Amino acid sequence: MLNKQLELLVALQDLDVMILDAEEVKQLGFKVAGKDKLEKAQQELTLKIDKPLLFNYEKLKKRYKRAIVPVKDDVCLGCFMRVPTQLITRGRSDQQVINCEGCGRILYWYE
Amino acid sequence: MESKELVQYFDQNLFIANLKAKTKKKALEELAKLFVDNKIIRDMKIVMEMLNQRETLGSTGIGKGVAIPHGRTTAALNVCIAFGKTTNGVEFDSVDKKPVNLIFMVLAPPQDENNRYLPVLGKLVEIVHDRKNRDKLKKIERFEQLVQIIEGTA
Repeated sequence: MLNKQLELLVALQDLDVMILDAEEVKQLGFKVAGKDKLEKAQQELTLKIDKPLLFNYEKLKKRYKRAIVPVKDDVCLGCFMRVPTQLITRGRSDQQVINCEGCGRILYWYE
Repeated sequence: MESKELVQYFDQNLFIANLKAKTKKKALEELAKLFVDNKIIRDMKIVMEMLNQRETLGSTGIGKGVAIPHGRTTAALNVCIAFGKTTNGVEFDSVDKKPVNLIFMVLAPPQDENNRYLPVLGKLVEIVHDRKNRDKLKKIERFEQLVQIIEGTA
């Protein structure tokens, strides 16, 4: 089962992206109202995330376009560095939030 | 985007000719589960969270019996589309308040290098706006038929 804090961070990133996309999606003809609801959900989510993690997420978001990146075939898809074996074991167990040793991004085990 | 290009985002394993779901929530779950069962997505909960948030922005039921639930999620590696059809229709809180028979679920990663997500959505909307395509889609039973309609060769 996915670490609760990582689950919240992923939900936050997905919301951030959705807010960014809202205008373009509306132009395609989709109903997009109540953006304020999403911003409220975004605020509520941030309250549930541990402060140091949230700070780390916000810092990474400013530096990169996305703070959380998937790991595929043991490679960080943010910087394409191979993730060290000991981190793979910890990351796959989903017990804690792991940052890439190469780029610092938060890692999400896709597989 | 060309119709033929759109076809590559569909998958035979992400196709249900007869959805069991009778509600919007269950229909979203039934289609999202296809991604999990086929190991395209690992965490169903993350995808459902994103899809439900998207629905709070406004229903993705675009009217005329069609819904295109969509969104970018960290849980997805590539743009992919699941398709489900239901004969009886599902209440989807659509713009025209009519039940939905055709559901295209589009998932995409937060950033796709070739930026295909919005063109894919746009092309889908264009195809289902055509009444002839909708009528044909409502009758399909096999994935190959879906491909032909999307390609414009049916």
